[in-house]
Amino acid sequence: MPCTNRTTRLALAASAASLALLTTACGGGSGPDASGPGDGGKPVTLTFWSATAGAKETAEAFNKTHPDIKVKFSLVPAGPEGVTKLSNAVKGGNAPDIATMDYSALPEYASEGNLEDLTASSGELVKKEFPEAVQSLVNLGGSTWAVPFDVTPIQLYYRKDLFQKYGVEVPTTWAEYRTAAEKIHRGDPDLTITNFGGGDPALLSGLAWQAGAQWYGTKDDAWKVNIDDPKSQKVAAYWDGLLKDGLASRTPLWGEGETKERATGKVATIIGAAWSAGSFPVSYPDSKGKWGIAPLPTWDGTPSTGMYGGTSYIVPKGSKHTGAAAEFIKWVTTDPQAMTARLSSLKTPSSALPANEGMRAAAAKEFDNSYFGDQDVYKLSGEAAGTIVPGWTWGPVQQQVTSAQMAAGGDHTKMLSAGQTKGESAVTDRGLKLAQ
Amino acid sequence: MAAPLTRPAKTPPPRAASPSDGPAAPKSPSGPGARRGQRRAVTLFMVPFFALFTAVTVLPMFYAAWMSLFREESSGLGFGGTERVFAGFGNFTEALTNEAFLRSFGHIAFYCVLYIPAMVGGALVLALLVDSAMARARRFFQIAYFLPHAVPGLIASLIWLYLYTPGLSPITDVLDALGANWNFFGHDEAIYSVVNISAWQWTGYNMIIFYAGLQAVPREVLEAATVDGSGALRTALQVKVPMIRPTVVLTLLFTCVGAIQLFDAPKLVQLRANTMGEDWSPTMFIYTAAFKGHDYGLAAASSLLLALVAGLLSFVVTKLGNRWKAS
Repeated sequence: MPCTNRTTRLALAASAASLALLTTACGGGSGPDASGPGDGGKPVTLTFWSATAGAKETAEAFNKTHPDIKVKFSLVPAGPEGVTKLSNAVKGGNAPDIATMDYSALPEYASEGNLEDLTASSGELVKKEFPEAVQSLVNLGGSTWAVPFDVTPIQLYYRKDLFQKYGVEVPTTWAEYRTAAEKIHRGDPDLTITNFGGGDPALLSGLAWQAGAQWYGTKDDAWKVNIDDPKSQKVAAYWDGLLKDGLASRTPLWGEGETKERATGKVATIIGAAWSAGSFPVSYPDSKGKWGIAPLPTWDGTPSTGMYGGTSYIVPKGSKHTGAAAEFIKWVTTDPQAMTARLSSLKTPSSALPANEGMRAAAAKEFDNSYFGDQDVYKLSGEAAGTIVPGWTWGPVQQQVTSAQMAAGGDHTKMLSAGQTKGESAVTDRGLKLAQ
Repeated sequence: MAAPLTRPAKTPPPRAASPSDGPAAPKSPSGPGARRGQRRAVTLFMVPFFALFTAVTVLPMFYAAWMSLFREESSGLGFGGTERVFAGFGNFTEALTNEAFLRSFGHIAFYCVLYIPAMVGGALVLALLVDSAMARARRFFQIAYFLPHAVPGLIASLIWLYLYTPGLSPITDVLDALGANWNFFGHDEAIYSVVNISAWQWTGYNMIIFYAGLQAVPREVLEAATVDGSGALRTALQVKVPMIRPTVVLTLLFTCVGAIQLFDAPKLVQLRANTMGEDWSPTMFIYTAAFKGHDYGLAAASSLLLALVAGLLSFVVTKLGNRWKAS
């Protein structure tokens, strides 16, 4: 297929180019070093791949204040394509020194031997500077594989005007949420509580996480796959019920109809993460002042939430400069300057909640709260972050599980069973041990 | 990248209808010396083909065969990295017992049932229409119908992806206005969306082939039919079509072999029609196995199996085709 040929050619060109880069980078005479910046005054050059907004400007700001390290940034595709590109680069021996990665992909990457072990260079940093809830996401099998960038507590975004119109209180439990849905739908059959027609299994996993499920775990040297457990089933049945009764809309998440439904007031709530807030002023500019933020409804009344997405920093296998890379990663995940550089370069607001407390203040300062009627967005998401149920771990076959779950469409119960089947077979296929 | 078998089967251009195979070789005036020189020239001209053929087809195939014998093993939780171990024919048994892989062939079979009659029938009808059109209009229709084929498959799929997308597409707007509720990305509807993209791309191309075949039908035969009182429709169906049967059979052959390697259109439609699954067609299964599952051994084994099926299919269709041609 012509596309393959072109990719091969591109890959060849890219590998040739990066080979040249690597040789210049090693020209400092220090060779493979784990100790940090090159000696002898010649700066170490690091390559940095990311799909995150503002990464380029962040790298430039770093270069200004760190004369001995030079970070060269390249934009890569977001999502699965970016992940594929990176793993191919590692296989081809031309991976960058630093990259960003979704938490859910870490175990898969680490267990395929695609990541440098950061225990020595960043293990202490992660333990001291980051909250409990993200520890289990980046520390796997006794090693530290990544440094967290943000936390992504799920929150409830709701239309204050619609709630008022139909006499609905902000729900604190899922039972109340369903009652609210019924009331609103009865008031206007065109309205639904939210759109939940599949399209993003990550949200279901976050809601299962809140309910106390743990889709993956380890027992001795075996992986546990628990996607279809009773707690997740409770969540799936709840949402399938809302869909069946017409209380939630079948428009898929991220689907084309979604923005329209949300912008025109056809849905009364959005289940989103901390980072979602930043997209509201851009996607639904006409609804300024109508949206409010509340903690996610819970099953038992005790404040709790799960995570939906989230980014970490990694060093792909084969980097010759893990020390220098760790220094950049420390700066970019904990130094408020990095946050300021990132945010000031963005054209649209970002509400990503840094995992590191020190960074949060810097991020909060840059965020304009006026869209949400002066609710303190960062304060609310910070509080929500404190209620993330600890202990969640992602598994070594999550990409395939996600694919299988996507194919289930808007049937959440099927999403769980399909994910469970795929998860088990994929773990065994890879020669990993599956706990019984 | 060693998956060598995902090349869409391009039907070769129709052979020139001229009876002679190239210019008749003039009697060589100066004996064996010149012949040797000729042979050398021939060799020289053949070298680039065989060099490229070896480099981009034969070698990758052997590499795939080699890869298909190994699998990546991890131990325990896997954080120690992976190890490459010899698997014998393990990957082949795994592919042959893999439900998704087998199901993907079923999808293609159903696709063929929908696609082949629509596309071949459409191309034939168009060719007959153009053949009976006014001399000046012929040229225009020929180019107009061929144009979609000039658009690369990936681009065509992208264009259709937009045309299927509610909110972006004028088609869905019209359907909505008419009250028709058709979801191009629905679980059952998605296959029609794929068939439509392929048909759009290939109908014009095959129309040109059929049209060329029709041009070769001796005019005397058509005149004789007219003199015998046959109308245009009857001439088309009972004289023209039987006379281009070999061309139609050839097209069927290439379409079948092409269908089994279907990739671009379903891959793109699947981006929106999630319920199709990422392993809808055999080539999509291979792609997903390699780049999502990182199971290169399984991907290589499935590629070889797909090649085998495609080879068998070509053989069977050719045999059948010859029999039809003869009858």
